[in-house]
Amino acid sequence: MTTLDPTRRYFSPEIETKPRAEIERQRDERLLGDLLPWAYERSALIRETWDAAGVRPDDLRSIDDFREQAPFIDKDAIRAFRDRHHDPYGGLLCLDPDDASLKNVFSAIFSTSGTTGDPTPAPYAGRGPSFLVREFWELGCRPGDHFLHCLFTFRGPGIHDTVRGVGATPVFVDHQPEDVPQLFRFSRELRPTGWYTLSGPLLMMIEAAAAETGEDLEETFRSYSGVVFAGEPIGPRARARVESWGLELFIQTSLGDVGAATECGQHDGCHYWEDTAFIEHLAPDGVTPAGDGQRGELVSTTLIDKIAPLVRYRSDDIVRRTTEPCACGRTHGRIWPLGRKGDEVVVDGVSVLPGDVWGAIESIPETEAGLFQVVRDRREMDALRLRVGYATPGPRGLSDLSSRVTDAVHEAVGLEPVVELVEHDVLLRQGPPHKIPRVTPG
Amino acid sequence: MVSFAARFEDPPLVWGVGRVTVEHEVVPWPVSSADIDDEAESLAPRFAALGLGDGGLVLLVSLLSQAIHVVPFEQAAGRLGARYSSADATPFDAFRTVALTRQLTPAVVLGIDTRVCHGIEGLGRELGDVFASVGAVVAADADAARRLASAGLQVARWLRLGPTSAVSTPTDDALVYDDARWRVDEEDGALVLTNLVPRLTGCDRFRTGVRGRVLGPGRLALEP
Repeated sequence: MTTLDPTRRYFSPEIETKPRAEIERQRDERLLGDLLPWAYERSALIRETWDAAGVRPDDLRSIDDFREQAPFIDKDAIRAFRDRHHDPYGGLLCLDPDDASLKNVFSAIFSTSGTTGDPTPAPYAGRGPSFLVREFWELGCRPGDHFLHCLFTFRGPGIHDTVRGVGATPVFVDHQPEDVPQLFRFSRELRPTGWYTLSGPLLMMIEAAAAETGEDLEETFRSYSGVVFAGEPIGPRARARVESWGLELFIQTSLGDVGAATECGQHDGCHYWEDTAFIEHLAPDGVTPAGDGQRGELVSTTLIDKIAPLVRYRSDDIVRRTTEPCACGRTHGRIWPLGRKGDEVVVDGVSVLPGDVWGAIESIPETEAGLFQVVRDRREMDALRLRVGYATPGPRGLSDLSSRVTDAVHEAVGLEPVVELVEHDVLLRQGPPHKIPRVTPG
Repeated sequence: MVSFAARFEDPPLVWGVGRVTVEHEVVPWPVSSADIDDEAESLAPRFAALGLGDGGLVLLVSLLSQAIHVVPFEQAAGRLGARYSSADATPFDAFRTVALTRQLTPAVVLGIDTRVCHGIEGLGRELGDVFASVGAVVAADADAARRLASAGLQVARWLRLGPTSAVSTPTDDALVYDDARWRVDEEDGALVLTNLVPRLTGCDRFRTGVRGRVLGPGRLALEP
């Protein structure tokens, strides 16, 4: 019997459109009254960090106190604790894995991506749909639909349980070149409405397969009402190409390892859910809050993860952020991902992030896939050095191609880059299925 | 804890559409939630035979396209009071298999295939060193089984047989399947499968594409 009304606008209207004052009241209650005392009491890393700063949860009476006094943690702090104490969970774990009473709760141990070092084990105690039900509903997926589950990894039931949470059936496809024929086939035969996820490398695989087989992508993909694009930013050329297939993209970005933020149908920033996380963004001094709509480093604190809570976690991600209501009617905050702090290079006083050169590289036909890396030994560099992937050397050879890429980048950022051209595969081999490292040491 | 959806307030009739691969041909395979639960029940004794038990951990190395075979293993671990962890069966993600094996010391690692072996070797690591502490390493293909055995490890095999699984142990080469739920027959040297209990997608002498022999009730051998 159907209980989810397919015509309702939001999956959880009472949460998604909650007035801001109520969002903040509930956030303060969860953070100050529940999460912080819990984490301080049980997480060895949080206790050590807060004790070193001379702060206790009892000292904090308001969110302003939290902003002024709560100490930060970051990935390095977690790794350092792990190595110092031989604790695979980096001091974050709040429950005893050997507690027999938790046997049916604490069912699995997943791990962080590990793209910037050793993966950190992440205990899993969930069962059932995640907050992404709100996003899958926004894509247009409804009870009885098929949903293409094509995440770049298979780590746990989080996504397929969430698909069932909107009453849809997941269709499992690998995010790999060899499975693109099945992606086409299942799209044609089962006519899914939602797709999670598409990425730059998968887009290239689809284009290559379609060029070889003559697949009519507009026809094959006509049933999709929304596709989540995740992994890394998408350039203007790639977006135009995907939209020419009739697909509507919903960009998703990481939320400082405490969740994800995803566009709505307005495509004006990625929504994050303030009933799940407290998000701050800090000005370049690393302490002062950046203003609404300004660029800053994203700092996240979970409001719901009581297994291994991150509290004031510096993500290294640079975002623009607002808490102004969205035209879609939702009232929670939005972010626009701009890049990673660790990816920035400064040449002759000019700051460059990978996103600043993306469009220029995509504008050259031979490098339109946008596969490139910034070569970075340190933040301040003598020259902007780029390693750029090409599909073909072009009609006048590599030297001419190099000149054209150089000119396009110069035009975009005002710096003349040193360009090294490599075949696509050289770069694709370096990454997981859904992205490549955008910064590489020299 | 926050509940995001009224838990499966409107669950789909079909749990998921996975696949069965028969001689390189992909057959879409819808399964129900009851199928997954029953397979989990059926597979728990396979894990127990590999030494997984209360408080233990199994590392499952697999791909999303193998979900209808792997999720029952995830749940089977829970039935034994054990936990599971996951890594992808790709050369790129081999670093995760290596790291989690070191960090979590699993009793069983299931799903190592040729690509993962290549990935591990590509990291400059020896298979024998990476899995030295593991009680049973379960290979997903013949080549991986050979490589792991030559590294001196305790190796078993995992066979995806139509929509179900058969598993051997390091001390017994026979691949064991659940003969209370499935009947396996030989037909022209290949194995055909029939379900004996209800399944959303039925098998009636389904040609699995696996060349092998039935050794006895619930026991198989593969043709070399």
